[in-house]
Amino acid sequence: MRLADDERALSRVLLAPAVLYIALLVGGPFVLAIIYSLTSISLGGHSFNFVGLQNFQAALRDPSFRRALGNTVLFAFVSQILVLVLASVLAIALQREFRGKWLVRLLILLPWVAPISLGTIGWLWIFDSIYSVINWTLRYLHIFGATTWPIWLGQPKLAMVSIVTVQVWRTLPLATVILLGGLSGIPQDIHDAAEVDGARFFRHMFQITIPLVLPISLVATLFGFVFAFTDMIVVYVLTRGGPFDTTQVLASLAFFKSVDGGDLGGGAAVALFLLPVLAAAAVGMLHMARRAEVT
Amino acid sequence: MGQRFTRRQMIKAAGTATAAGLLLPRKGRAAKKTLKILQWNHFVPGYDKWFNNQYIKEWGEKNDTDVIVDNVGIPAINTTAAAEVSAKKGHDLFLFLWPKPVYEDEVIDHREIYEEVEKKYGKPIDLAIKSTFNPKTKKYFGFSDSYVPDPVNWRKSMFDEAGMKPDTWDDVRLAGKKIKDKRNVPVGIGLAQEIDTAMAMRAILYSFGGSEQDEQGRLVIGSKNTVEAVKFVKALYQETMTPEVFSWDASSNNRAMLAGRASVVLNAISVTREAENKNMMVDGKPIGDDIWLAKPAKGPTRRMGLEHVMNVYVIWKFAENIAGAKKFLVDYVGNFHRAFEASEFYNFPCFPKQVPDLKQMLQKDSKAKPPDKYFVLADSLDWATNVGYPGYSNAAIDDIYSQWILNNMFAKAAQGVMSPEDAVKEAEAKCRDIFAKWKERKLL
Amino acid sequence: MATVETKNIRKVFQEHTAVDGVDLQTREGEFLVLLGPSGCGKTTLLRMIAGLERQTSGDILIGGRVVNEMPPRERKIAMVFQSYALYPHMTVAKNIAFPLKAQGAEPKTIDARVKTAASMFGIERLLQRKPRQLSGGERQRVALARAMVREPDVFLLDEPLSNLDAKLRHMARDELQQFQRRLKTTTVYVTHDQVEAMGLGDRIAVMSAGKVRQLGRPQEVYDDPADTFVAGFLGSPPMQFFENDGALVGFRAENLLPKAVYSSNEPLVSFWYRVTRVEDLGADRLLYGSLRDLAPDTKMIVNLPSTIHVPLTPGEAYEFACKVNDLKFFDPKTGLRIPSRPLRGKA
Repeated sequence: MRLADDERALSRVLLAPAVLYIALLVGGPFVLAIIYSLTSISLGGHSFNFVGLQNFQAALRDPSFRRALGNTVLFAFVSQILVLVLASVLAIALQREFRGKWLVRLLILLPWVAPISLGTIGWLWIFDSIYSVINWTLRYLHIFGATTWPIWLGQPKLAMVSIVTVQVWRTLPLATVILLGGLSGIPQDIHDAAEVDGARFFRHMFQITIPLVLPISLVATLFGFVFAFTDMIVVYVLTRGGPFDTTQVLASLAFFKSVDGGDLGGGAAVALFLLPVLAAAAVGMLHMARRAEVT
Repeated sequence: MGQRFTRRQMIKAAGTATAAGLLLPRKGRAAKKTLKILQWNHFVPGYDKWFNNQYIKEWGEKNDTDVIVDNVGIPAINTTAAAEVSAKKGHDLFLFLWPKPVYEDEVIDHREIYEEVEKKYGKPIDLAIKSTFNPKTKKYFGFSDSYVPDPVNWRKSMFDEAGMKPDTWDDVRLAGKKIKDKRNVPVGIGLAQEIDTAMAMRAILYSFGGSEQDEQGRLVIGSKNTVEAVKFVKALYQETMTPEVFSWDASSNNRAMLAGRASVVLNAISVTREAENKNMMVDGKPIGDDIWLAKPAKGPTRRMGLEHVMNVYVIWKFAENIAGAKKFLVDYVGNFHRAFEASEFYNFPCFPKQVPDLKQMLQKDSKAKPPDKYFVLADSLDWATNVGYPGYSNAAIDDIYSQWILNNMFAKAAQGVMSPEDAVKEAEAKCRDIFAKWKERKLL
Repeated sequence: MATVETKNIRKVFQEHTAVDGVDLQTREGEFLVLLGPSGCGKTTLLRMIAGLERQTSGDILIGGRVVNEMPPRERKIAMVFQSYALYPHMTVAKNIAFPLKAQGAEPKTIDARVKTAASMFGIERLLQRKPRQLSGGERQRVALARAMVREPDVFLLDEPLSNLDAKLRHMARDELQQFQRRLKTTTVYVTHDQVEAMGLGDRIAVMSAGKVRQLGRPQEVYDDPADTFVAGFLGSPPMQFFENDGALVGFRAENLLPKAVYSSNEPLVSFWYRVTRVEDLGADRLLYGSLRDLAPDTKMIVNLPSTIHVPLTPGEAYEFACKVNDLKFFDPKTGLRIPSRPLRGKA
């Protein structure tokens, strides 16, 4: 076996699975999506007629698409800002020693390990128009009257709030764990030094702790952002884009268009609107990864 | 001295292990044929019990075939189909619960099956043809064995109190308002992105003389009648309902009705069957006894309801056992009487001669109170129609259906974010794009 | 200026007692070294003085005030950590300025004092760099500059030289001492390195198992160890012991010399020393052997300065001697010093 002794050939062979994986599972579908978006292909069709930018133009004409585009941005930004804030608070709280800390950690991690569709179905029940746990509780506490209460998933704004809530609930554990890792990566000496140097809580937090976890929390946020940008499961389970397409995001709209509606080309065009944002995010991540290497 | 592995040895060892894995003997293939079927988890559990444990075994023995059934949830149907088509591999028989004309190029022409079944068991109903035939290409893109009617479910006691019956849509609106004002129980017709809303809205649309297309398949959604239907739904919503209907999924109206939180819903007989089977109580009384069924309400133009579920079996061109699948369907129709019973009258026959005693059976149901509760379904063929009435269920109609364009048209007007006229215009524009798209793809 | 005093300080971590009743008092401007092997409790003691660790019992006084309840920032102390604990995201200038900013000093004052501190340690040209761009020695100076910039009453140093290589360490030790002499700030310095302790400390507190075994000037601690632990911990090689008449007798390798070297009027004790091996190290000669008559089975090392040219042949016994005062007597059970007494048996 000469290969085993040839460093360069061996390194190529060992890298090949990774390259193949990227090419087949990432590159392939990506190229396919671009091709689809320029054709009139349908789910069951063999016709591959080139239609230029027609699919994109059709998408832009569609008010549901414009709404979905706005929703996607809103959904990604708002959920990630909330996640960043909440994850920071949680991570800092979890760093301290207290009784039952392991239990709290476990509870916070649970949403991450539970299958998301199960979790979201739980939320479906929480937001249900008839059996909503929140509503029954608040009615019991006499905060809502006997006849009216909010229909969480039935009013466009409330529905969006509900969706963002579930997304936050869902991505919070990972962000918390990443931040917790970042926090425990700061040597205790640094904290001690800051304390001896006279830093009080806020100075310590904003001039020492936060700047030191910033790089890793940026990575976490960016991941969460890309994740939120491309994800549809919460929308799919909670509202299926309703009421009347006001909570549709690009990913769910693309899904409904292509898999349910059969219009693969149109769906691909909708999905490809994600591309510029994701490309920017990818560049950002690469940049940060490089910086992290230097440090 | 301890053993040390060189890299070369490691690689050799790993390579050998992999090769060994690849060379392991596989299970030999049985000479017996197999037939793989995919269908939903039937709403009536008894049906799956009969089909999976009894019927396919009998059939398999007679035909020397291993029949394998995979049951999936409704949301998995479209995704599984898409996956099977792109992989060109999958089940021999695939059951959709709605017409799926978009796969026309991927499926065999099911004409032969219709012909053979007709020879043996008589003519199919028009609804079956409308749901599986493409008049443009003259191809049958599926085979329909049965459909599920979509009657009105109403609270007898409440309507009695209002002194009315849900006979016309105006009755529903007036009685619904009285009941809501008096008892704070709203009408439970969804306005969301889900199947029951889609069917209810089409029932209203067609009853008001509107439709997506005409008999020749021309887009006519922008008609005055459509606007009237939208106006009616807006008034119906404002007078008799609450915003909860915007948030509903396909099971919400069942739950609302069974919780005593709706005066009237449009649904298959799943609501009453669930009440009977689980013996559900509201305010100390069995709720099932108070939920009565009625024919679809009459609109200004006609009395028209929908199929609630349309069974459409397809056989992929790439299926491995096409002959077996065809034979299975023909034989299945021959045994449909048993299927009708197993489904507790949920699935109605597309070949009515197979259930000649349908009316008698509906007249004395073993669980219903009164026993003839389900008798209103006896003439369902007079009023149950397909999505896309009065034309065929084609690819454009399916696309409009799947993107919930009509649901949203009604919902937007009802919630007041658009005037009925604008909502119809917006929907028309979307439908026009969709029709153009599918014409270009030569499916219309 | 202030003194540091600990009164019967104890620190118990779960089962383990890290500091077990320490009473210490520094003098004004003194350089006090806490010396001991790792795990002896010296760092814990320092952290309790700093306020980073709360003692289980006892009082800590700085400048005569009980500071038990005060957070570190109110104790007017500055600390240098073994890792230096520079803030990695700040430039050197910002690192040094940090304690001043935390005090709320004026920007102008901050600038001036940062410059002064930087020039004191010769790091002016590094001010705009980040810690990761500095060498070990430079980092240590930045840490010192950051500690002194706000003119604390007490410096607490936790092994600040241990991350430097040997050559640098010598220089740094010298600088450190000069700097402390100049500022005259009371300093508590933790180390496990006896050379550092001997070289730097005005006084040394030798610690073991959470207790101070001896407190005294370096020479005192070296010459007059209070117990066998101190005797055995200090010196290279450490003090050597042999048993005699129910006592442990200790002496240092450099105190035993050929009898001929001594002038006749000193009170001496002499031994026959059998040499088994000679190691010539240039500046010294190390002899390996044993006391032929008193402890023939105990290996003893003798350190002869190269200025003594007596020829020695392995295998032969010679008459060696030490001053009477250089023999220390210890109780073999408690390890504590006992009064000197004459040796018994043939020397």
